[in-house]
Amino acid sequence: MSVSEAKVVTGQLANLSGNDPSGNTRDDCAVISLKHVTREYAGHGSVVRALEDATFSIVAGEWVAITGPSGSGKSTLVNMIGCLDRPTSGELKIDNINTAAMTATELDRFRADKIGFIFQQFHLIPYLSALENVMLAQYFHSMTDETEAKTALQRVGLGDRISHLPSELSGGEQQRVCIARALINNPPILLADEPTGNLDAANQKIVAELLQDLHRNGHTIVMVTHDPEMAGLAQRRIALSHGKVFCHPVGGPMVTLRRATDRL
Amino acid sequence: MTKPGLSGKLSLFGMLRRSLIHRRARSISALIAMTVSAGVATALLTLYADLDAKLHKEFRSFGANIVITAPASAPLRPDALARVQDIAGKDALAAQFAYAVATTDTGTPVVVAGTDFAAVKRLDSWWQVDSWPEPSTADAALLGQRAAQFVGNEKAVALNFAGHLITLHGVGRIKTGGEEDSRIYMPLAAFTAWTGVGPSVIELQMPGGAATVEATMARLRQTLPEMQVQPVRQLVEGESKIVDRTHALMYGAVLLIALTVAVSVLATLSASVLERRRDFALMKALGGSQMQLMGMFLLEALTLALAGVAAGFVVGSAAAWAISEGNFHTAALPHLSVLPLVFLLNVTIAAMAALFPARVLRGLQPAALLKGE
Ligand SMILES: Nc1ncnc2c1ncn2[C@@H]1O[C@H](COP(=O)(O)OP(=O)(O)OP(=O)(O)O)[C@@H](O)[C@H]1O
Ligand SMILES: [Mg+2]
Repeated sequence: MSVSEAKVVTGQLANLSGNDPSGNTRDDCAVISLKHVTREYAGHGSVVRALEDATFSIVAGEWVAITGPSGSGKSTLVNMIGCLDRPTSGELKIDNINTAAMTATELDRFRADKIGFIFQQFHLIPYLSALENVMLAQYFHSMTDETEAKTALQRVGLGDRISHLPSELSGGEQQRVCIARALINNPPILLADEPTGNLDAANQKIVAELLQDLHRNGHTIVMVTHDPEMAGLAQRRIALSHGKVFCHPVGGPMVTLRRATDRL
Repeated sequence: MTKPGLSGKLSLFGMLRRSLIHRRARSISALIAMTVSAGVATALLTLYADLDAKLHKEFRSFGANIVITAPASAPLRPDALARVQDIAGKDALAAQFAYAVATTDTGTPVVVAGTDFAAVKRLDSWWQVDSWPEPSTADAALLGQRAAQFVGNEKAVALNFAGHLITLHGVGRIKTGGEEDSRIYMPLAAFTAWTGVGPSVIELQMPGGAATVEATMARLRQTLPEMQVQPVRQLVEGESKIVDRTHALMYGAVLLIALTVAVSVLATLSASVLERRRDFALMKALGGSQMQLMGMFLLEALTLALAGVAAGFVVGSAAAWAISEGNFHTAALPHLSVLPLVFLLNVTIAAMAALFPARVLRGLQPAALLKGE
């Protein structure tokens, strides 16, 4: 399936789920909700406002692309959603829980349960095999399960590469290990900061298909991308410029697909 | 929040081992530093464990540390030696001496001393004697380096004491650099038979420190009030001074080395955390708590410290053995009793050295470290 074909499928999916039987409003269903969120960095005498007064929400199962020029605050936004960073002001709710009220330890736990990260740089531990890198996420979540980790790697097409070290894998393969690691604990939210930024067209296609698969399974995906084709796969685009959200169309009807093992 | 036990292939120790092997150079340099600290501590503590015994044994070879003299011109009572030996204990060495002035065949006056060669050989083991007389030979003589010059024939030493003549068979020479060099030594029985003079001096060597020597002298004075009991002052004081100084030197060395090692371990651990900030940031992103990350890091430091203790104990014990063998001519056995102290030292060093990296870990900003660059 090509990227453009995938787009069609996604569109159909979005249409399929057009009518929301529960009748909930958008904000009720929001798995991620920002209200006047600002993030400032103090340093070198001046204050950089990386994100300014962002207010929007993302509902469960939605696939959102975050776009904008370099330095516009995309990573800042994604990191706050991932609870790696906290807003300077404003309210950020994940899964209806105000992250500002959580202690650092609670945030760590929250992150293990709710968030899967896919990085542009992959960030695999160099001395652990592909399998062990996936198991590392299990380790910090609850307990390791080799069979489950193997299945996750098979799912991303790396069944025959499980004992390879990251240095023995191609960039595309490393990114797939990263994706397997992100979904091993079945988190409701997947955050991908330029997941295809370091990949060639062929690998970008593989990753795109994997993301579509995850989307179909009901994961909420927030994806930063520079690539218009990748952005086109998402149901909705949030555009940033100079730290400001200047467009967050509530595109298409709401998605009510639920993940098979939804724990929300 | 509980962490269930680990199953599958990924364990904390497995990760630790992988991580240490992956950064071989760093691990090895930290391990070497830890081994050095444990090794030095082991060697010094092992030596310390038998230092007192060793030094005292060594001081024995310096000869007597107490001199007991009969009151002016009257000889010692016949049972004096036995009583002194009784008071001093069987570990003490004692020998008695009788002195007279005789003339040699060249007409030169010379001091002749009668003694028990076997006892003197043990007591004054530092004397340089080319060959000791057989204990059974009654007419054997040892000639002092200088005294030999006044003797015409060393094989048949003819001596005259107040008209009484005796001919001794010179079997060897003594060199001490002291007054012994001007004397001629002969067996006590033959001496007394010849001169009619009995022993007047007992030299005693007490093992132990200054306090033991003092106590023995007090008892001797009490039991034998008619005799003069005097310490050989230099040796008694010198002995304790050397022991004290050696102890101070050793503690100083341990402290200095511990500090040096702590600095080097600090540098290694800091570098090891700094270069792995991303790995730690990633673990944080995966839900690892501050405690877990700190635990992993401290476990690593502790592992290095323990490996250092193991390697250092072996190396240090070997060093102590060699030093002991070389300087005291007796081997210091490995002392397991020093292990807890060495362990404590290394763990303290590791803990101290882990303080800064632990701060780095606490201030870790996963957001800044993980975003694309
Ligand atoms: N830790 C920080 N300290 C100071 N300023 C920062 C920090 N992190 C980001 N910034 C600033 O915040 C702004 C937004 O950064 P951010 O990383 O979110 O951009 P981005 O949209 O992800 O850019 P890119 O597409 O290049 O990854 C930038 O101007 C950047 O210089
Ligand atoms: Mg970025």
